[in-house]
Amino acid sequence: MLGPASSEGSPSIRAALVESGAPACTGTATDDGARGQSFAARHRKLLLGGLSVALFFAIWEALFLVVPLNTLFITKPSLIALGLVDLIATGDLARDLAVSAVPFLYGFVAAVLVGVALGVLMGWRVRLAYALDPLMTVFYASPLVALAPLVVVLFGVGVAGKALLIFLLSVFPFIFNAAAGVRAVDPLLINVVRSLGGSEKDLYLKVIVPSVLPYIIAGARIGIGRALIGVLVAEFFAASEGIGYAIARFGDLFALDRMFACILIIMLIAVVFTEGLRWAERTAFPWRIGQ
Amino acid sequence: MRETDAIVADGAVALEGGTRAARPWESLEPSLLGAGTIALALLVWELAPHLLTLSPGMELFFTTPTRIAATLWNMFATGEIWQPLRVSATAFALGLAMAIAAGLPLGILLGRSPTLDALFDPFVTALNATPRLVFLPLFLLWFGLGLWSKVLIVFVGALFPILINTYEGVRNADKVLINVVRSFGAREWDIARLVMVPNALPYIVAGLRLAIGRAVLGVVVAEFFGSQEGLGVMMVRAASSYHVDIVFAGVVVFAALSLAMTSLVKMIEKRLSGWRPQHANEGGGR
Repeated sequence: MLGPASSEGSPSIRAALVESGAPACTGTATDDGARGQSFAARHRKLLLGGLSVALFFAIWEALFLVVPLNTLFITKPSLIALGLVDLIATGDLARDLAVSAVPFLYGFVAAVLVGVALGVLMGWRVRLAYALDPLMTVFYASPLVALAPLVVVLFGVGVAGKALLIFLLSVFPFIFNAAAGVRAVDPLLINVVRSLGGSEKDLYLKVIVPSVLPYIIAGARIGIGRALIGVLVAEFFAASEGIGYAIARFGDLFALDRMFACILIIMLIAVVFTEGLRWAERTAFPWRIGQ
Repeated sequence: MRETDAIVADGAVALEGGTRAARPWESLEPSLLGAGTIALALLVWELAPHLLTLSPGMELFFTTPTRIAATLWNMFATGEIWQPLRVSATAFALGLAMAIAAGLPLGILLGRSPTLDALFDPFVTALNATPRLVFLPLFLLWFGLGLWSKVLIVFVGALFPILINTYEGVRNADKVLINVVRSFGAREWDIARLVMVPNALPYIVAGLRLAIGRAVLGVVVAEFFGSQEGLGVMMVRAASSYHVDIVFAGVVVFAALSLAMTSLVKMIEKRLSGWRPQHANEGGGR
């Protein structure tokens, strides 16, 4: 359900933690037991999924033939496709995306650097964790997005304000996950490397980094979602360019075809990021599967 | 399970050493350090204007915890907060209730039927990955600046955590139990009532907690962007007239709202899962 590729019977934790940042654990019991079956039976899930999407758009399109709907308030897939082509051809889409990408990049990279550094420190020094954990939890639990008007008033609607909002929203998953990752390093493995004469470098490269990295990637998955929220909020609220602004403006102009085109692009980006990171978790850390 | 514990570890309690309690101060250390940092942060914030001279421009944007507390107190004392709070809380409650009403049955249904699951999977995956705020301009267009666009944005925000967690909880139900209940002549409805929902409860609660966070986010942003009354509107107006203390007071009220709802959910879970020998899976989700 969470990803087309995630197999049947994925174990408990994954979804209970949809958002909470445990590294994804995909199922141990894969559905590959169906080797002998026909193509259709093996790819049933994928086929049905594709069918339902196709059906959805077809019904949506066909609805206009039956019911006389006002295109001011609702649009149809063929018009959306035309709008998308238009946006790409004129370069508007590329421009808006580029404008949004800059603060996104700044904010997100800052969140990775600060969050991972702080998280590693908090995982490493128990006292520091005692001291900072409650404060961080307060920040993480409070709706920081509510500070958006203040950020905008203070830093304007340019790159700085957007980047700050994105940073504020996406830094906490990195902090908590990096800390959890460091705490999860197996002391036994460290001792083994030491006893076998491994150097400090081996310790880091062979034990610590491989143990922490999955947590950080899981944090990145959550962080990306929150960073996208930051982009949208900042641009809805006060901006004159960017993809979020484009959606709001096309809404004001009743240009639903283009608005939907932009929404689809955002959905595509979100899915590519999230599923991409999920895939990275599965391929880069296959030993975690089923843990 | 290991990751779950590590992540769920709320505060210092679950940190290593917190349970050792060899000497009294050692067991108190985590909470003392934690409370100390928060107190220190508040103190530094409070004293900052006394220690540093702020430029007149900065002073306009600066506020202190005591001023925020005073503003909050005033807002409750004069009663001016009740009207916006009522508006925001209504949207929050309606949207969340709709999300529960739709998410629970859908989650059970998709968890029970592989065909439906396959059919809905692309939509659920895509919508879950997307920040649902992206639909806000669309809802504003359809429903205007009133209550219902807010309710709807809260609904789509809160729906997916509930749906997916219910689904996952149902999927993890004990197959043996299902077969037993079925052998005794239970229908699908009985299976859902007797096995599925009790089994999925910890998951549902974890989903609800996520959903509450999403719902608050939805209310805040919907009111910032397109609304005429509510706490969010109050905050935007305050920000543009440099009443920074009111903005922070709003943040505090929203945080209190989500905290209160989260503890309510925890309480309900405790009541409902009293029969459980131990909390099998507290679920996650900060």
